[in-house]
Amino acid sequence: MSSTLFQTLLYASLTLCGLGLLWRVSAWFRVRIGPDAQEVTPSQRVATLIRGAASALFGRQLFRFLGAFFLDVLFLRRLYANEKLRWLGHLLIVVGFTVLVLMHALAPVVTAKLFPGYQPTLAPYLFLRDFLGAMVIVGVAMVHYGRWRRRNGFSTTRGPANAAFMVLLTIVLASGFLLEACKIASPRAFYRMTEEYIGSTDPEQLKPLRALWASEFGVAFGDLREPIDPMLVEQGRELHRNACAPCHAQPASAFVSYPVAQALAPVMGFLDRSGADAWLLYLHLFACFIGLASLPFTGFFHVLAAPVGLLLNAAPQNLVLSASNRASQRALALDACVRCGICDVRCSVAPLSRYLGNPGLLPSHKLIATGALANGQLLRTGHEYDALRAADGAFLCTDCGRCTSACPVGLDLEDLWDAERGDLAAAGLARPAQWVQARPAFTWAESLEIDSAKRVISDADVSRVPLSADRSVFSRCVQCQTCTNVCPVVAHSIDSGHGVDLTPQKVMNLLRLGLRDLTLGSRMVWDCASCYQCQESCPEGIRVADIMLELRGLAVQRLGSVRSWRQPS
Amino acid sequence: MKYALFLGCKIPSRLPAYETSLRAVLGHLGVTLVDLDFNCCGYPARNYSRDAFVVAAAHNLALAERAGLDLLTPCTCCFGTLRHAIRFLDEDVELRARVSQALAAEGLAWSGKTEVEHLLPVLARTVGIDTLAAAVRAPRTGLRAAAQYGCHALRPSDVTGIDNPAAPTMFETLISVTGATPVDWHMRLDCCGDPLHEANAPLSEHMTRAKIADALESGAEVICTACPHCHLRFDAVQAGSTDPAIRTLLYTQLLGLAMGLPAKSLGL
Repeated sequence: MSSTLFQTLLYASLTLCGLGLLWRVSAWFRVRIGPDAQEVTPSQRVATLIRGAASALFGRQLFRFLGAFFLDVLFLRRLYANEKLRWLGHLLIVVGFTVLVLMHALAPVVTAKLFPGYQPTLAPYLFLRDFLGAMVIVGVAMVHYGRWRRRNGFSTTRGPANAAFMVLLTIVLASGFLLEACKIASPRAFYRMTEEYIGSTDPEQLKPLRALWASEFGVAFGDLREPIDPMLVEQGRELHRNACAPCHAQPASAFVSYPVAQALAPVMGFLDRSGADAWLLYLHLFACFIGLASLPFTGFFHVLAAPVGLLLNAAPQNLVLSASNRASQRALALDACVRCGICDVRCSVAPLSRYLGNPGLLPSHKLIATGALANGQLLRTGHEYDALRAADGAFLCTDCGRCTSACPVGLDLEDLWDAERGDLAAAGLARPAQWVQARPAFTWAESLEIDSAKRVISDADVSRVPLSADRSVFSRCVQCQTCTNVCPVVAHSIDSGHGVDLTPQKVMNLLRLGLRDLTLGSRMVWDCASCYQCQESCPEGIRVADIMLELRGLAVQRLGSVRSWRQPS
Repeated sequence: MKYALFLGCKIPSRLPAYETSLRAVLGHLGVTLVDLDFNCCGYPARNYSRDAFVVAAAHNLALAERAGLDLLTPCTCCFGTLRHAIRFLDEDVELRARVSQALAAEGLAWSGKTEVEHLLPVLARTVGIDTLAAAVRAPRTGLRAAAQYGCHALRPSDVTGIDNPAAPTMFETLISVTGATPVDWHMRLDCCGDPLHEANAPLSEHMTRAKIADALESGAEVICTACPHCHLRFDAVQAGSTDPAIRTLLYTQLLGLAMGLPAKSLGL
């Protein structure tokens, strides 16, 4: 590759990377998640963060940040605490990749300056390059195995960005090893060098050197007859010492590339003719450049976002608690999440998620939905189903906080879910208690009436609401009003002026009259405290409170089928 | 005495002092607690679908059964939910079949062996009042405490009842054994207001405030709780309020103090 082309591509990728980073980082101040985030402008958010960072960094807080940098960012102690295997894998990737970039990719400005005699084809660099590459591969394998071992029914949504990152990394590593193998085994590369350093490409004249390089350096000369004469090899050694040895060590220490080179030997002639070393180099470099240019838009971006998130966690609580910083922290969380799925495994409602067939209950999926809600995508036409499932996920969350405590990136997910629920409610996707009660019970019943097809309850539905569908459960009601008299909701609703529409006894009566649909949207059903006073006191032993709770489930299903998908509340 | 400890969702994240004090107290009383990888009891899903809530509950029952343990929970709402799930599974064969299928998909099964116990009866009956009395080293003499039973510990009595639902004495007895004085307050069996917080916040707050006022009127210095929902509810309503306030004290903290355990080990 000509150096002009190389430099053009390098600077172009660096520019794209820089612009992309600016764009992505600016999102941490632009994206608004949560009702309180709507109140602050991006410039306020930038200002608050800079002020906070300045006061923290130039005070005693500096040591907290340093501690967080070493323990949380470099050592990844949160991942260590949760998943040792993936921690080790991640460490291998980080160390392997970083040292590869410094020692290999940045060799002219780093390695060559530190070690004046540096040549990529000398020991220990031959070994180190392979060793570091192998570290990354083993690390990736460990991380993926860890993920697979803790799979929980739904795959963690990794998205195209993360897949792109893995594909690029794979191409860079594979082309690197293949390129090195080709260079080791290639006779063409051998003659190119002899021409430059010995001034000859004549096979006869180079016979001793060829013998040495075939037997000890792995060059696959197609025209060399086996077995190689040891005397000839020894003859080649002197020429080698003068012309080659200053820059070339035996490649056997390249413990990955060398065996690959040996495996490629039978097809080396073909590879040489097709210019394999050139196109592998192009592939390797292009993949690196594309990786660099697309870094802000692939999963690799977490390399920046996750440490920033971890460092923010070290900030004193009073800084984090401002609405302005919270807003930025939430936007950052969308980028800092690495989709590792550890939260999904720990999630308290994961079994429910599997039973309902709705991955929207799981934290990693909720995080994506939160982002899609913030940028408006989730509310577009065609996404109704996704949005309703996301709302189910958001409102079935029990706030147990396990996702937050397990998150290796230390994201405050509980805060994010709180904000998401606020945004869902503002978008007309509130929790059932709210969207049902936004309309009077009788208008709900009218909607069911109009849409008569949806009134039909299948046998499967009946088996899921056995109490309210079975006359024998409530027909014994004598309308004695005991339930109403003991109901604290009825009593307090009169005192507080936030009245219920029906009383428990009237709900039972509507059921007796076959007017169940009239109860579904009633305040009494939805305001029931499930204290079971009614059920305990009923002289007929009617399971009043159990019926109320069952009616709510039925309402979610029946009224959900006739609700406008975004119900203002 | 050995149980699988079912903390539920609220205690670890919102009321860790309950876990701390519970472990300290039960540890001293010779009750062994085993931690299993439990999930949500199913309570939040009761509004959503009966099947879903029972599946979530049964998942926990099956985990305890696999470990060969009964389940002990200090959360009254989890207690009620798990007991309700057992009732529904017992009375509805079709439901049981659907749930068994869902459990089987996870490599689990529940044959009905798991018992679900609430903290209060375990202390009052299994450990026993005499054992508790013998463990009390620093009686909290003079402290007037209002017992907050929590609805789902008492009602419906055929499912959850730990005591006579109309005139329970268990909690008062447990308070007495610490040397404190249980007060008689007429709203002691009422709902704390927490379950309708999301559906009707003003009404919920009205209910909570009424209970607080009643406890104060009865001369109580603390409301003694045995459920994170009730406990957090009283605290939340009183936070930032200028109305006369009453302290909340977890029963495990009261007992721990009476046993002479250091306040720090009780999360105080």
